[in-house]
Amino acid sequence: MMKKPDLKVVLLGDMNVGKTSLLHRYMERRFQDTVSTVGGAFYLKQWGPYNISIWDTAGREQFHGLGSMYCRSASVIILTYDVCNMQSLVELEDRFLDLTDTASDDCIFAVVGNKIDLTDDLEAAESDGERLRRGSATKLRKQVHTEDAIALYKRIMKYRMVDEIHAPAADKMCFETSAKNGYNVDLLFESVFNMVIPLIVKKKANGPDDTVNLAQNHHVKKAKSGCC
Amino acid sequence: MDDDSQQPQSMQAIGVELSEDNGNEMSSEQKNIEASAAETKADDLVDANPNQKDLTDSDNTLEDSGDFPGISSVMGGVPSDVSSPTAPLQREEDVTAESWRTKRKHVFVLSEAGKPIYSRYGNEEALSSTMGVMMALVSFVQSGNNSIRSIHSDKQKVVFLQQGPLVLVSVSRAPQSEEQLGKELQYVYYQIISMLTQASVARIFERKKNYDLRRLLAGSEKILDSLLDLLDTDPGFLLGAVRCVALPCQLRDSLSSILTKAITPNLVFSILVAEHQLVTVVQERAVIEDCRLDPADLHLLLNLIGASSAFQAGEIWTPICLPRFNPDGYFYAYISYLDSSCTVCLVLLSTDKESFYAVSGCKKKIQEAMEAQNSLQALAGALRCCSYSVSLVGVPELLHFVYKPLDIPDIYRQLPQFTSPEPDGPYSSEEERQRLFDLYRYLHCRIHSSARPLRLIYHVAEKETLLAWVTSKFELYTAFSSLVTKVGAINVITKLLRWIKREEDRLFIRYPPKYSTTPVPGKGVKSGRTDRTDPSQNGFFTGL
Ligand SMILES: Nc1nc2c(ncn2[C@@H]2O[C@H](COP(=O)(O)OP(=O)(O)OP(=O)(O)O)[C@@H](O)[C@H]2O)c(=O)[nH]1
Ligand SMILES: [Mg+2]
Repeated sequence: MMKKPDLKVVLLGDMNVGKTSLLHRYMERRFQDTVSTVGGAFYLKQWGPYNISIWDTAGREQFHGLGSMYCRSASVIILTYDVCNMQSLVELEDRFLDLTDTASDDCIFAVVGNKIDLTDDLEAAESDGERLRRGSATKLRKQVHTEDAIALYKRIMKYRMVDEIHAPAADKMCFETSAKNGYNVDLLFESVFNMVIPLIVKKKANGPDDTVNLAQNHHVKKAKSGCC
Repeated sequence: MDDDSQQPQSMQAIGVELSEDNGNEMSSEQKNIEASAAETKADDLVDANPNQKDLTDSDNTLEDSGDFPGISSVMGGVPSDVSSPTAPLQREEDVTAESWRTKRKHVFVLSEAGKPIYSRYGNEEALSSTMGVMMALVSFVQSGNNSIRSIHSDKQKVVFLQQGPLVLVSVSRAPQSEEQLGKELQYVYYQIISMLTQASVARIFERKKNYDLRRLLAGSEKILDSLLDLLDTDPGFLLGAVRCVALPCQLRDSLSSILTKAITPNLVFSILVAEHQLVTVVQERAVIEDCRLDPADLHLLLNLIGASSAFQAGEIWTPICLPRFNPDGYFYAYISYLDSSCTVCLVLLSTDKESFYAVSGCKKKIQEAMEAQNSLQALAGALRCCSYSVSLVGVPELLHFVYKPLDIPDIYRQLPQFTSPEPDGPYSSEEERQRLFDLYRYLHCRIHSSARPLRLIYHVAEKETLLAWVTSKFELYTAFSSLVTKVGAINVITKLLRWIKREEDRLFIRYPPKYSTTPVPGKGVKSGRTDRTDPSQNGFFTGL
């Protein structure tokens, strides 16, 4: 069998928001053409002594029902939207949030607005000479503002029935990124890893039975009733 | 292969059998419509094929077939836009432009309620009025308890196929028969089913007649686009056979044996693919007894993988339906690349949705065994020379061929295969390849004509001479330089058949092995059956 991953991170969000591109940028340090993901894709990332499994899921509605399977016992869920597309933020709440019911109880959530390079957001666009080359005329208006994401994060905490005092602060868990120029991509993944590792350490200390068991066949029943 | 069948005299025997044919086999309905086109082209035909008349008059032991008007229009001049299949901006194309209207082959999919689902060129939205007209046609004919099969004009054919709640339409200027176009639409339908299952599609439309299926297919257009491109270039779809990578027999066997050793309960097919071609496939014993892996299913699976691969480090886990195997159930496909350049791909099909980690473990085992035996390097070496040139056969008059053996030992008949050299020499350009493929299509259609099947066709085309021949042992299509005589052609074929006989262990999978996965306690009998479609498994109903 494979080395058992210590924790599971899941990327969720509508199709085309850039989940695969974000992961690709982080893992391979590149931005390149992607094709729409089918089902889900599994990656293993070595983080210090830890094995982190990352599931990049398909945003297409066709695969929607599988989401809760990929999310089962997840320690981190990264909800991704496209900053130029308000609907993609709305979908996170309408279509993806209830998939997270199967996630671990102490699961950490991040809300990520990708494609910030397309907007007239100054700081992000300038991290690359791009702005000069393309000229600001081609830039799109940013449709989703940071406040919208923060408000969503708060509603997620409510949905999960987590007291805000115990959850990481909203402004720390909302990111704006660009898979294209790399802006904030490392920051995103490294912050969530660093935040979740203490939880794993704590779990391990509490005894081996509590370790995240990713094979999880015995949890099937629970998951099914939770999802549909 | 029995050597007798390769001798010229047996060919003569078939010739005699055919001598009753009068060479005029267009079905009567087609004849009416095509006659006008044939008249206008008659002169060109004679000019283009000075030998042809001679051949038909002096010797009708071999079937001659210069009377196909569709082909003549292709031979005679510029075919309407042999569009490069990967034109980047297809979807944004202006549907009112001339370039859109003159595409070689349009394909549309719509729902019974007339809602657009897919269009090969241009986006379906802009085309909704076109689709509406088509739907009106279909329902008009349906109301008379008939169903439209096709409309012919001298420039194009329109072929309709209704499958459950979906209507598929092909509008083609390619010189293809109605039957062939219908078969292509069937493939398109199957590819949709491979993503959604037949049962789900039926249920969706039962609940809501005007459901917009694009919601579920969004993102899958590329898969259908690439399928249509393959249909226009890959003889495998036409022949209902798969091409496998030419490999030394030993290497293939050792790879197969590695696959049979890495198993887990509910794993039913292990497939190794290189450069989108089959290296080997092994299957669970329980499956092979009563079912077979259909070449169509394999084509659809490989197309889906080709059009939706992740980057190399990832392992994909996705539901997929093999419509010929079971149109209503899902397999769970594990897809992973084994090399950094993403040429070698492992596909493991399981019936258990929850078995990702177990199946991923199988891949580990396979990878370790391949490393230990240096198989990847050996495979990479073989891949460098796996597509071969027709010059290998060593007969200069032979320009190209497609060969499908029909004499595979009984138990191996599960997977029909074919081989064919990389088109080179006169067929190096895309246009010439397309022209050759059109000729093969034409011969194939004549050979398999339901009204009057033929076993042997000798066809003089503009730039080459073709011979198609079906026996109980093989189906063969060959192209010769036009200088070859009939006797010469027969000699060439004899040599070709000898060459294939010598090479067959390398060109085909001769002995695909099987394995038995140990049954899961309490679940044993189920293995080998796909899951029934269960609405809770997938997201098809969330939108309803
Ligand atoms: N300008 C810009 N384009 C991006 C960025 N991230 C992704 N894209 C583009 O957006 C498109 C979709 O990206 P993907 O990463 O495939 O999206 P996805 O979320 O994985 O989509 P699904 O797999 O279908 O769920 C691609 O054309 C990417 O090139 C970004 O940060 N900036
Ligand atoms: Mg993706």
